[in-house]
Amino acid sequence: MSDVLSDDGGSEVNQDDSREDVMTPAELIAKLEEAWLNEKFSPDLLENKSEVVECVMEQLTHMEDNLQRVKKGDAKAGIHRMEIDRIRFVLSSYLRSRLQKIEKFFPHVLEREKSRGEGDPSLLSPEEFAFAREYYAMTETYLKAVALKRMPPNLQTVDMLKAVPEPCLDSFVFLRVKERQENILVEPETDDQREYVVDLEEGSQHLMRYRTIAPLVSSGAVQLI
Amino acid sequence: MDPSEVEFLAEKEVVKIIPNFSLDKVYLIGGDLGPFNPGLPVGCPRVAGSEPKTETEVSGLFLLHGWMLVSTVHADKLEEMRDLERKEDAFTPVPSPYYMELTKLLLNYASDNIPKADEIRTLVKDIWDTRVAKLRLSADSFISQMEAHAKLDNLTLMEINTIRSFLLDSLNCMYKLRSNLQPGSSKGQFTGLLIHKNLGRLGFGLPHGPFVTQKTFLGD
Amino acid sequence: MDTQSYLPVQPGVGMEENFLSLDDILLSHERLPIRTECVFPRLGFLEKSSDSQDIPEGTKMELPLWLSKGLYERKRRVLSVELPKVYREGWRTVFNADPNVVDLHKMGPYYYGLGSQMLHFDSPENPEIGQTLLQTFIGRFRRTMDSSQNAYNEDTSALVERLDCLEKTLFKSGQSGLNGFQSWEKGQASQLTASSLVLNYRKRKMTDVQP
Repeated sequence: MSDVLSDDGGSEVNQDDSREDVMTPAELIAKLEEAWLNEKFSPDLLENKSEVVECVMEQLTHMEDNLQRVKKGDAKAGIHRMEIDRIRFVLSSYLRSRLQKIEKFFPHVLEREKSRGEGDPSLLSPEEFAFAREYYAMTETYLKAVALKRMPPNLQTVDMLKAVPEPCLDSFVFLRVKERQENILVEPETDDQREYVVDLEEGSQHLMRYRTIAPLVSSGAVQLI
Repeated sequence: MDPSEVEFLAEKEVVKIIPNFSLDKVYLIGGDLGPFNPGLPVGCPRVAGSEPKTETEVSGLFLLHGWMLVSTVHADKLEEMRDLERKEDAFTPVPSPYYMELTKLLLNYASDNIPKADEIRTLVKDIWDTRVAKLRLSADSFISQMEAHAKLDNLTLMEINTIRSFLLDSLNCMYKLRSNLQPGSSKGQFTGLLIHKNLGRLGFGLPHGPFVTQKTFLGD
Repeated sequence: MDTQSYLPVQPGVGMEENFLSLDDILLSHERLPIRTECVFPRLGFLEKSSDSQDIPEGTKMELPLWLSKGLYERKRRVLSVELPKVYREGWRTVFNADPNVVDLHKMGPYYYGLGSQMLHFDSPENPEIGQTLLQTFIGRFRRTMDSSQNAYNEDTSALVERLDCLEKTLFKSGQSGLNGFQSWEKGQASQLTASSLVLNYRKRKMTDVQP
């Protein structure tokens, strides 16, 4: 795990010239924090935000380079360093919670990545994809070494997709509404009750199932808290 | 989420300070800070003022000495809020979404400058206790009514956080016990997986009985 | 921040078990009273009370859940499973009256898990069993919550001894929320402590050294 995180990606900085939307650094940091909290609280792995991650890395490296030139004891440098540490914390916590989910759901994550259409955005960054694949292979090898090879031949395979529990989309989440939404389905119609819908007012907070609001999380209309 | 992470978020909140030093504007990645002039109130994220006792190595430490934190919280106002909180069934608005964290910072690091610090501490604790009791009450009725949606306005992150994992895990369990009731949810009953898993635990070779093998290897 | 070297797989709770969950593996060893509905050839060694080679039809015996589940089939009657006492009507009445009085650890300890698994076997009582499980959980929730959210810095063994395994896990997560908050409030959160990963790593090293 630490390998992936400590890979501060000197290479990544130069890689990305393609970003087009203009964002101020302050907005960028806000985006990162949003992504961090959403990732922390959603039961499922969210789309990767490698663009944000790369831009933040770029900012940090830039700032660190500048700080190298500042002479010791400068009051401003202390404040800058404090900010860098904070941003770095959010960044690694974000990446770490993604890795944790990849470890937890690896077969499903890989399956989703496999069945993804041409133009769809990818779920995993290239590094995360490599991590997931390696984790898969290592788990398989381990299971084989400790148990499966001692089994009768016809029982030596384990279907990882069935063995590892799927993310539970019916988990409840706490959320705050950023853009007003109408007619959000809470529970579908059943025999003994009518369908249950609510309107989400801007700024209000709710506790409800993740499944019903999952699209709103990725569109940024709600923030998980 | 760890409470210190909630505090981390709270540290972005802007507090007003009256500096006794001067410093030019600082251009941070997340926005500009300052400029600071002695005696002129200025907004500044809490983080710059937190933990002064431990961060002795930060060269900006001298900034913190003699800072006067201007608290907008007064004891009589808090008393009103406590009474209101006790009276109402719903959660009443709090002075800040991070009132607990701010109180802790202000009282721990600047209590010399705040009149009636002890009284404030007790009042805030009272408010917190009342709110957490309400939170538990509503959590219980949420579970017992098997609700699927609740509105939680005015609830702060720190409050949610104390009950988060417990409540969410319980809701998950309840959901699963509830889905037991719906016929047709019994998919994948006797999958190869189950049998496989179980035979793996047998500890001895496959018995030559007729059924185990048949079911295991022919599937269902 | 709590760091764990590995994330244990959670039990499935409902009708589906999780393959890699330790709790579910233990659960599958719970023994069920069954009656054989045909001859089990050459399996006599499973039945300790007789020394015949086969198990004759109509034998009453106990089998672990995993085996009963594997052998059970709706169409071909191989064995029939009897409900364990705690899921039968008599006990269901007790649960419906006041779920809080029952010692689920003694009666379980996988009361909810095993109960859900029982639904795999065809029985006219299944809907009632499911309903009782749900209502019991709901009825006991308040007590589990209060005890886990109030017991700070005290011996909790008396509080958890009557809880089912599932409730115990919930109790623990409630406690971790409470303890986290309390230690933050006291300012202990700002003290750095060694990660459990590092501590365990050192321990492992020691055992490597001492054979």
